[in-house]
Amino acid sequence: MDNSKRRFLKGCGGVIAGMSVYTVTQTPQANTTEQASELKYAMVHDENLCIGCNACEDACRQVNHVPDGVTRVNIERSGPFGEYPNQSYRFSRHSCQHCEAAPCVKVCPTGAAYIDEETGIVAVNEDRCVGCQYCIAACPYQIRFINPETRVADKCDFCQQTQLSEGLLPACVLACPTNALVFGNLKDPASALVKTLKSKPTYRDKVDLGTRPKLFHVRTIDGEIVL
Amino acid sequence: MSAFHFDGLVWHWPIAIYLFLAGLSAGAVFFAIMLKHFKLADKAYLSPFVQAAAVIAPIAVCAGLGILVIDLTKPLAFWKILVFYNTSSVMSMGVLVLLVYQVMLFAWLGSVFSTPIQQWLKQRLPLLNKLLALLARHEDVITGVLVILSLSLGAYTGFLLSALIGFPLLNNPVLPLLFLISGLSSGAAATLLGGVLMRGNPNGVEVRFIHRIEIPMILVEIALLFTFFAGLILSGGQSQVAALNAIGEGFWGWIFWAGVVGVGLTLPLAFNLWMKVSSDRKFAYVAVTASFSLIGVLLLRNFILYTGQMTAV
Repeated sequence: MDNSKRRFLKGCGGVIAGMSVYTVTQTPQANTTEQASELKYAMVHDENLCIGCNACEDACRQVNHVPDGVTRVNIERSGPFGEYPNQSYRFSRHSCQHCEAAPCVKVCPTGAAYIDEETGIVAVNEDRCVGCQYCIAACPYQIRFINPETRVADKCDFCQQTQLSEGLLPACVLACPTNALVFGNLKDPASALVKTLKSKPTYRDKVDLGTRPKLFHVRTIDGEIVL
Repeated sequence: MSAFHFDGLVWHWPIAIYLFLAGLSAGAVFFAIMLKHFKLADKAYLSPFVQAAAVIAPIAVCAGLGILVIDLTKPLAFWKILVFYNTSSVMSMGVLVLLVYQVMLFAWLGSVFSTPIQQWLKQRLPLLNKLLALLARHEDVITGVLVILSLSLGAYTGFLLSALIGFPLLNNPVLPLLFLISGLSSGAAATLLGGVLMRGNPNGVEVRFIHRIEIPMILVEIALLFTFFAGLILSGGQSQVAALNAIGEGFWGWIFWAGVVGVGLTLPLAFNLWMKVSSDRKFAYVAVTASFSLIGVLLLRNFILYTGQMTAV
């Protein structure tokens, strides 16, 4: 009995030693810092300008071939607030926030959910996805869904596959009749995006979760004051 | 908003069944090992309880994984989970644990049952005989690794849910421990039920041994359950909303108080204490107590899964 215990402990010791050697060899060298990308896409939704026409949703559906019954972007309407005739609604954009620390990317077992290093876009590798729906459950913004045609986790990718690859702005931005959507490079100080962010007060959803979302909102001036 | 269909619900009851079966398998293996190590030694393969655990553990884990694969939206692509790994994903690491667990489980079964299997094979299949002899020689190492893997598997199902940061009830540090302990107790119950059904002695050393562990285990489970909800309520905010929504009025409140607390914990605890006092265990008592425990754990898995997804931050 003693002998077997000793052998088991020896084995455990071997495993621990092996693991520590492995982790030591895995630590990155100090002088091999990666070249950081000059591109990081983000979006602002100005809720004061938005009129809730849903042109963004229709354009997205058309360009990205999103089937009926599911959607990548959704404008949520709340209200009316105030007494007639001074009534107003509030419109809020519900779509992928392209988090810097994306929970969906963290939990995806196969790496099908990933952050594109070039652009900072949270994207989906359709070939890798098996449809475990862990990413859908993990997303605190609840914006991922299973595409009924491809049976793969789907969501907004800032039109990475469609518009951006042709050098165009995302379909929702182009379709917006009131210019409520501003899309651009966070790292470019001259971009319309950064100018908007610097000139208007914005908020982001659920920042306390530490996901660092890249979808900014300009809050409606009208509308309800909620405690 | 009904109990089984509501906005934000992603994972349905098949996942709860899987969580139940994985914990049950881990628990059955754990108790079979404890029985062999502390009570039965080389005679373990003759015990109907160890035999029951040897049947239940592989079937439960395989059935659970089967349910999991069918529940994927692309079941035929399941092999990709086995090929691609993501070290930050709890699920990915769990797949790794499950893989090694199954290999070690069959290795352990081979080593423990090597004598009867070799007798049955006689000298046919010499290669298999050699393998069994090899496994039997390394039984101590296999047992040690399997204990660690079974505990990992039991806790893993809890970690799987607690990684969901959007749901305060699930994103809770007590959940993995709660799932581990309740999984172990379901494994114990399944081993007892299977053992007495396979004509094991309901008053034998195995039952006495497991019952002695079961009483403190139920008490720990009650303490963990209390900590789980007290922690949520005391954190306030959406955590408090989630906790009170779960154990308050309504369908899931009933499931919790009557099913999990009543049938799953209080009654088995009372029966166990009573059996300890009466010192005479009969088939019906053991079977009914074990069944109540199993029902309780199955209800707990469903309760946590559904109520967990009801309240988001």
